Formats: sequence, structure tokens, C-alpha cells
Amino acid sequence: MSNYASPEEYGLADLLCCAASRQVRDNEIVFAGTGLPMVAIMLAQKTHAPNLKLIFEAGTLDGRPPELPTSVGDARCETGASRSTGLFDTFSIAQRGYVDLGYLGGAEIDQYGNVNTTCIGNYLEPDLRLTGSGGNPDINSFARRTVFIMVHEKRRFVEHVSYITSPGWRVRKWPGGEWVHRRELYGAAFRGGPSAVISTAGVFGFDQEDGHMYLETYHPGKTVDEIRDLCQFDLDVSRVKGETEPPTKEELYFIHDVLDPDEIFIPKVKKA
Amino acid sequence: MSTDKRITLQQAAEIVKNGSSLTFSGFTIWRRPVAVVYELIRQQKRGLHLIEVNGGPQTEFLVGAGCVDIWESCWVGHELYGKYGANLSRKVGKKEILVEDYSHAEMLFRFTAAAMGAPYAVTQTSLGTDIHNPEYDVLGRAGKRDGKRIGKQKYVYTDDPFFDAGPQVLIPAAKVDVAILCVQQVGEEGTVRISGQLYSDTEVARAADITIVVAEEIVPESYLRRDADHNTISSFEVDYIVECPFGAHPTGMFGKYDVDGAFLKDFFTNTRTQEGFDAFAKEWIFGLDHIGYLEKLGWSRMLNLRANTALNYKPRR
Repeated sequence: MSNYASPEEYGLADLLCCAASRQVRDNEIVFAGTGLPMVAIMLAQKTHAPNLKLIFEAGTLDGRPPELPTSVGDARCETGASRSTGLFDTFSIAQRGYVDLGYLGGAEIDQYGNVNTTCIGNYLEPDLRLTGSGGNPDINSFARRTVFIMVHEKRRFVEHVSYITSPGWRVRKWPGGEWVHRRELYGAAFRGGPSAVISTAGVFGFDQEDGHMYLETYHPGKTVDEIRDLCQFDLDVSRVKGETEPPTKEELYFIHDVLDPDEIFIPKVKKA
Repeated sequence: MSTDKRITLQQAAEIVKNGSSLTFSGFTIWRRPVAVVYELIRQQKRGLHLIEVNGGPQTEFLVGAGCVDIWESCWVGHELYGKYGANLSRKVGKKEILVEDYSHAEMLFRFTAAAMGAPYAVTQTSLGTDIHNPEYDVLGRAGKRDGKRIGKQKYVYTDDPFFDAGPQVLIPAAKVDVAILCVQQVGEEGTVRISGQLYSDTEVARAADITIVVAEEIVPESYLRRDADHNTISSFEVDYIVECPFGAHPTGMFGKYDVDGAFLKDFFTNTRTQEGFDAFAKEWIFGLDHIGYLEKLGWSRMLNLRANTALNYKPRR
């Protein structure tokens, strides 16, 4: 007897949202970025992690918004919060080591989890300037675990990102630029790093010793070979556990009837 | 004491000179002093150096209008109404602007250092990223690091000399000429009361040499001083005040009005080219003053953005 939704009842965004939600454990302190991660965290709050503490970068500590904010600076973030303050508090709390988990995105990622949100092409003469780092490297530097949610295309899962905006497991030690393990560079501030990538094709983990990405589960309808072909680097597929767990009916109810009824971030599946 | 700090929007913009460094209140698409930004564009400022904890529509307006030579920050876009700053992106491609990237926490700590009167801050964020790549010191490459207003170096890499905690970076204080804030209430003598998230407003107000506060309303100081523990910025940190209802539109203001998402979406969609930006500026900035702008937006649009005063936002249903 399964409470899982059938394939025609959910869309890709639902699957990603539920996979992201399941990365949170109860009582954790979580940094929420704008978009799908907000829905994912609030979904966890409604299901398996009722005591998680939500931080919105713009200044909300332990927020419980009754209506979905459209960004972390939204007026809705403040309702029901423990404190409404500013970035000095949220970033100090993060650097102090309170944050368990952060959700981030990116335009490109390499096999060590280095992520680019800054530019495509040579930084000094870019083909395309993107939004820039925002808090991506900060949350990723300070949190124990970071989950990246990404569109899976071959041009995005690359051997080398155009620009390392956010630090993975093997990073560059400046001023020389030698590649070192993150643990070596962060010293006493080392708490962890990228723990999962949830792409539109599958869910990936990282080997924390040598830092490489491996495929953990493939989404329903995808194959391991297909996903390996969608990476420019040689993807480790030796640890695949099987298919990504689909959303449950309860999760879909919370996403579409409670958290995001207006389809701000998660579209509803149109009935045929 | 009664020192009236009131000035007009036009006078506020005149305080910003060609070549001034400038920063703002707010966060991405919330509480940006857009009414003054439009006025800066009308006054055709040139050579501005924007130093922002994060960018947003105000960055895109000034950059699109050709007012900005240097942008130091970490992010620009319109959140879900426009995924990146298309005007900045275009000008970077054409080498018409210098962009210096720091991380978000670094920008915040740089302003915190300036607000403390310290020359630099120390942090462990973003170690190992290209943000710290010495080849990518754009202001250094351009010969702008004079050690006066712009630090002699972008970063100094060091190790913790006290507790052996390992690698650290030192980042220069954000020294800025003018901060323009957009808030709910200011008193006649400059005391500021902000509701909702404070973003980085207290730090930028203290860091800047001149601080101008644009408020939805100017209220009696005596009213704010009855509950001093509710106030956000002290009177003497503020040099000038301007009363300007809806001064943040199209960005939002906690407790007053929501973000005008449709306006931002149209702006993002239509201003990817310079011709598109020029047409936007002609329609919405030049030839209008603030009242003319509000009249053009119209009552129905503005009422539809108005926040419920119990909830502090406009409920969706």
C-alpha cells in the first residue's frame, strides 16, 4: 500500500520540490533561497520536520510565513518570525556556525561541486554576465550541508566552470591558485560542503574524501546512461540506489493547496 | 533643538555629484529609493560609483541610463520578475562599465567595517572561489586603487594570528560618499523608524559621509521619541530628509505596498537593448516629476499594491 502519487498526478517541479524537502531533518536550521527551495523547506515544515528553523537572508530569523514569500526580502517573511532584523545578523549567525543546511542554485557545476552564477566565458570579457554571486558562496561556505537545485543540461554539468562563484569540495588556494581539498583551505571554519545536487534528471551525492560527484538516484523515466551522457565530466555511477522517490499525495496536497496555490514557483499538472 | 533637515527630491539628487560614490537602502526588489534614482537620471548624473550590498531595479535604471562607471556588489536582478540585470550585462559586454565582484556577506561586512570606523573587515567566506582570484581584481587592473576612497588592494590573504583558525581574507571598508534610504517613517530631526526586515540599512546609513532619508511620511520627533526602543537610526546620523509617498515604487515597502511585479517584468522584458531602455526612460522618467509618475501609474494600479495594515502585505486572496 503506497501513498505515492501516480506519474500523471505530478510534474517535474513537484518531484524536485519533494526531493529537496527530504534533505531537511527535523530541528535543523535552514537558509532558504528564493524560489522552489522556499516551498521545499515549508513543505518539510508541514511534514517530517515541524521544528526546523528557517532563516531568510534579508533578515528574518525562524520565520513562519503564512503566505509564500516571492523573495527573501518580501514583507511576508516577517510574519510569525522570532526576529525581524537584517543581513548583519543572518550572515553573522551563518559564519558563527549555526546553519545546518542551505539550498542554492547555479548556471554551471563541475564534478567537485564548484558552482558558477557569475558569467559565461572569460570573466574579463564574458560572453554573458549573469546575476553574480549573491549569498551563494557565503551560505555554501558556512553551512554544514548545501543542496544545489539545477536544470540538467550537458552545457551546465561541465569539466570546468567559467568562474567558481561558490566553493565545492576541491577549490583553489589563492594567491597561487593550486587545487586543494576544501578542508585544507577552510581550517577551523570547515564544517562540510555540497551534500547533494538535485537536477532535473536525478539526485547526486559527493564523496567527501576525494570530493567527486556521484549519481545516487535517477528520476522516473530517466536512465543512468542518459544521465551520464548529460555530463561533460566522467560521472561516477557505481553507487546508484535506484529511482528517485516520487511525491506522496500528502506532499502534493501541501504544495498545491496550502503552500503555493497561486503557482508562483510550482506549476500544477494540467489534467488531460 | 529644531534643525529642519527637509529638502526636496530635486535637492536630494543635487547632493549627488558626477563621480560620487553612492549606496542605497533595501534588498533586491524591496525599499529602494527609486523616486530619487529617477531624479538622478533626469539630472543626467555621470561617472557614478555604485557600491551596493546587493543590486536591483535601482541599479538597472542608473546603469541603463549611462550614469554609472563602476559597480561594486554581488548580485543584480529583479528576483522572479527578471532573472538577471540585462542592462548591466549589456554594458559589461560592451566594456562600458567596470564591475568588481565581492560576495554578499563580504559586501555586508565591508559596510559594517566602514560603519565601525574600521579600515577593513576579516572573514572566512568564499575561500577558494574565483571571487578571490587575483587576476580578477577589476579596479586594480583599471588603475583605480588609489588607497583614498578605493582600497589599495581588493583582498589581503592572511592566517588567523590569534587562534590559528587558518586562512582568512581581509576586505576593505566600503567608503561611500552618499547613502540614500527609503523608509516608512522619519522624524523632523532625522530619527528613522523602519518596520519589517532592516536589510543593511543601519550599516549603510552609518558608513556614508552624507545620509539622505526618503520617507513615506515625516512625523513629529516627539512621536518617535515616546518609544525610542522602536527606532532604527539615530537623528544625527541623518543629514537630510525628504517626504515622498510611494517613493520606492516599483519596489515594495513593508506595511505600505507590495512590489509592482508587472512593472518590473515589463522593464526586464523591454530593456534588454539600449533602444528599449531609452524608450522606457522616455516614457517613465523624462518629462515627469514624482506626482506625474504616480498619476501615470493611476489609482487602480496603486490601490491594488496597497498593503493590508494588519498583515503588512497585500494578501493574494
